[in-house]
Amino acid sequence: MKHYHDIVGDGGSRILEQVAEQRARITDGLAGVRHLVAVGSGKGGVGKSTLTLQLAAALRAQGLRIAILDADFNGPSQARMAGVEEGLFVPLPSPKGSAAAGSPKVALPRTKDGIGVFSMGSVIPESQALEFESAARGESQTWRATREFALLGEILGAFEWGALDLLMFDLPPGAERSVQYADFLGDRTSFLLVTIPSEVSRGVVARSIAALSKGSNRILGYVENMSGYYCRDCNAIKPLFVADGSPHLGIPCLGSVPFDPELARSCDLGVPFIGQRDTPVAHALEQIAQRLMNSLESGSEA
Amino acid sequence: MKFLCVPCDSPMKLQSVGPPERGSLSVVYSCPECGYEMAMLTNAYETQVVQSLGVRIGPEAAAKASGTGCPFSGMIPAAEGSQTSEPMPVRWTAAAEARLANIPEFVRPMARTGIEKFARERGALQVDEKILDEAREFFGM
Repeated sequence: MKHYHDIVGDGGSRILEQVAEQRARITDGLAGVRHLVAVGSGKGGVGKSTLTLQLAAALRAQGLRIAILDADFNGPSQARMAGVEEGLFVPLPSPKGSAAAGSPKVALPRTKDGIGVFSMGSVIPESQALEFESAARGESQTWRATREFALLGEILGAFEWGALDLLMFDLPPGAERSVQYADFLGDRTSFLLVTIPSEVSRGVVARSIAALSKGSNRILGYVENMSGYYCRDCNAIKPLFVADGSPHLGIPCLGSVPFDPELARSCDLGVPFIGQRDTPVAHALEQIAQRLMNSLESGSEA
Repeated sequence: MKFLCVPCDSPMKLQSVGPPERGSLSVVYSCPECGYEMAMLTNAYETQVVQSLGVRIGPEAAAKASGTGCPFSGMIPAAEGSQTSEPMPVRWTAAAEARLANIPEFVRPMARTGIEKFARERGALQVDEKILDEAREFFGM
């Protein structure tokens, strides 16, 4: 009797074929992107989204072509922070030429500074939650993660990413989630992890590093966010957390960023912060952005 | 999943897929050798797992490979409904509508809503390709 692998094709269901087609659409769509970086952390609330946007803005200010995909579909924040809550989705003309030229795309909403941003926050008002139609209602634990990754694939395949120096993925929190994104996005994607100077956060991020280290994705390093509090009145950094010395996470530290209420305010308002160049926070962001690019470029030469 | 006709030792071929009914799909396979038919009846979990992959089962799949449908379409009218007055209707030219129809289903409702708003703000009651290009230009895309 024949076994599974003796039979060519699947008898007509085309399920595997379609999954392969989805992957091909994603690969084609990202062909013009030089670097893919996922910004993650096992810990929630450490400022992944804020850092993603601010690093993107710092690199954009250098003239680099940058886009952000807010992969936190259930808690999207990039739309508000980047000021694209009412971002327009414009269908583009069909590509000329053969079918290999690709499927029609949607233009990516952009910030005033020219950073491309896709965020579910541009799609669904903050008063509503992301819902999917389901045949198995009330049992979402059995299928929801699969559906979310299928949606990520649809977004990657549907939007015109074009020629970019860097596409940043703003990941949802969770050590296991980072690994799932690493598996889905593939080896091309490098990871930047974010922690804050608390032992609890460092411990959770250490687990993220341990989980990611089992795979083949490159871990560029980590950023310590909320590393002190920047007091504008004193023009000084004051302690925010009481934690011992360096975190010894075993990966490079790309820098630390003090907490600045002005940065938080600019995120709430969806206005750029990086223009405030003469602050320690802006300097820190610019340095980290530069180290990030240096790390990526050195890796691509290797 | 593949099906094998054991007496013929021959892979069975998909014949038809019934639409989901109370969460169950009816997928009929037949043996090309002996003509024996069998139906796979999925439970809700199995149906949902397939849908969650973003694929469709069967011959229609090639034409509809861009996704399983818009997961957000139900939310768009609610968002529009929050407006205090009924917006002026906007007509789409065939060419503009074709461009919209070509993009994946899950972004279509948001694209339509946004473009119509953009057109209204410019006093246009028709969306044509020029409006689409203007929108792209205006937002620096």
